[in-house]
Amino acid sequence: MPAGTLAAPPAPTAPAATGGWLVRRGSRLPAWLLAVLALGCLAVLAALPALVSQADTQLLVNFFVLLVMSVMWNLLAGYAGMVSIGQQAFIGLGAYGVLVLAMNGVPTIASIPLAALVAAVISLPVSLVVFRLRGGYFAIATWVVSDTAMLVISSVSAIGGGTGHAVPGLASLSPRAFGRVTYYAAFVVVVLAVGGAYALLRSRLGLVLAAVRDDEIGARSAGARVLRARRVVFVVAALGCGAAGALLAVSQLQVQATAVFSVQWSAEMIFVTLIGGIGTMEGPILGTIVFYLLQQNLANEGAWYLIIFGTLAVAIAIWAPKGIWGTLERRLGLSLFPLTHRVGPVAGTSRPPRSPGRPTPHVERGPGAGARSGP
Amino acid sequence: MAPLLQLSGLQKRFGEVRIADGLDLELEQGAAVGIVGPNGAGKTSLFGLISGDLRPDGGDVRLDGRAVNRLDAASRCRLGLGRTYQVPRPFEGLTVFENVLLAAQQGAGTRGRESHAVALSSLDRTRLSPDANRPAGSLGLLARKRLELARALATRPRLLLLDEVAGGLTDPEVRELVEIVRAANAEGMTVLWIEHVVRALVATVSRLVCLAGGTFVADGPPQEVLESDAVRAIYLGSTVAVAT
Repeated sequence: MPAGTLAAPPAPTAPAATGGWLVRRGSRLPAWLLAVLALGCLAVLAALPALVSQADTQLLVNFFVLLVMSVMWNLLAGYAGMVSIGQQAFIGLGAYGVLVLAMNGVPTIASIPLAALVAAVISLPVSLVVFRLRGGYFAIATWVVSDTAMLVISSVSAIGGGTGHAVPGLASLSPRAFGRVTYYAAFVVVVLAVGGAYALLRSRLGLVLAAVRDDEIGARSAGARVLRARRVVFVVAALGCGAAGALLAVSQLQVQATAVFSVQWSAEMIFVTLIGGIGTMEGPILGTIVFYLLQQNLANEGAWYLIIFGTLAVAIAIWAPKGIWGTLERRLGLSLFPLTHRVGPVAGTSRPPRSPGRPTPHVERGPGAGARSGP
Repeated sequence: MAPLLQLSGLQKRFGEVRIADGLDLELEQGAAVGIVGPNGAGKTSLFGLISGDLRPDGGDVRLDGRAVNRLDAASRCRLGLGRTYQVPRPFEGLTVFENVLLAAQQGAGTRGRESHAVALSSLDRTRLSPDANRPAGSLGLLARKRLELARALATRPRLLLLDEVAGGLTDPEVRELVEIVRAANAEGMTVLWIEHVVRALVATVSRLVCLAGGTFVADGPPQEVLESDAVRAIYLGSTVAVAT
């Protein structure tokens, strides 16, 4: 065939392809049901302080703090492929941010978002340094950054040096009013953190993260700016962890460097994310619930409580590496935070091409189609 | 007007192996050019140098007159360079539609409904629409090869680099593929195609180059190149008759 003359068939054009098709985001559960569930959860959480004791309110604040941290760690490790063990750097910066702002007369509640912003701003130059490293080296570098921040802050005597400092401002409130204020502050932060993480994963950036996780070279050659996506996630995670640290400072009315910069925080966020299901929106939430239920029931068992936690982590790592939610999701095909795009025929007006009986393209409900899950 | 792609003095070696030893090549806008050469000649590495996956040791890659040596693969893609990989690289956890949507959003820079339209259109031209909602990890080889092509097309490239998209396919599948590539080329897309399935190449391209030992040993109309002594000696073996 003479190759010079290209008697090609007429090229298909774009509008013909899109005419009959509609792109939706969804899961097996209808959108209205998910919305009702979400609103129900929010309503119950908003009403809780009126229903439970002062001590339980404080417990719920701690629960929210860990929830925010684990949602952030899941974004980092579960979606952006960055295993950080130094997120306590931003927890500490958030806590000290609140302390410094409150000492300078900023209203304590207003200092929470400001302190979180401080942590996010600082994370940007930090990313320039730690992003030069990958994998385990990156993890260690984040820890080094965190300990460096702790040492620097411990040396400033104006904010208490190594012994810590009380947070002024809220101490004058009655215990009941203080409990309410901290609860609702934590509640707002949780809603923003979970909602923000979900919005991020549903955005164009979320698709980039999912693609990078599957094949980084392929993603780059399709135009994805991988470094930029990672940097955004790193800053968002610092913002969230900064807010969590700010909540700690407000709810405990005391900031102490070795406590807020403790690597224990990273251990806890990693633990709850892994048992709940890394790389799923639901995982960290479920993991934090399981963690607190276990902790409440085992707190009196002394060392046994740590042994049981350790055993659970090992068991999950071996038999359910996708965590509790990851395993459930695979069995049931459920997703409470649907991310998947589904292409389907437009209902009503224009009639898409149909094969006899059922519309094409058919909808797959197999594992992996339900949601982007698992690294 | 500057050529769409211009390689000048391109150098790359892996240890003692020279895969590009001062390569020069110019591709005019709208051209369709095939690359043949023995296994290990460095054809795929050449694509790596053009697309930004590999850094050259020396020489220039120019896209539409602009030196892109310092740009990474993503930036080159955004400038209009789309490529497929010989071993497909699907995003296995995403659906077929999402694979292509990523390319439409990142590579072609579209958003919202426009990005859906670009993605659906490239699935349509590669006959992948019925599989739109399937996880890419569940696809067989043919569909994976098509997905590579669909993803490259969805970046709306001006220059399309195809790396053995016809390898391992049956005759009817190859014919269908040739049709897709010819249609893209007829629309004005410039095509540079590495292929061992020579009849697919000959049906599509108007110019053929042969890469061996880090240099282009032949360049010209396909029949001429395939019948040239240099190609017979190096690529097909000196005693084998060329059947096309």
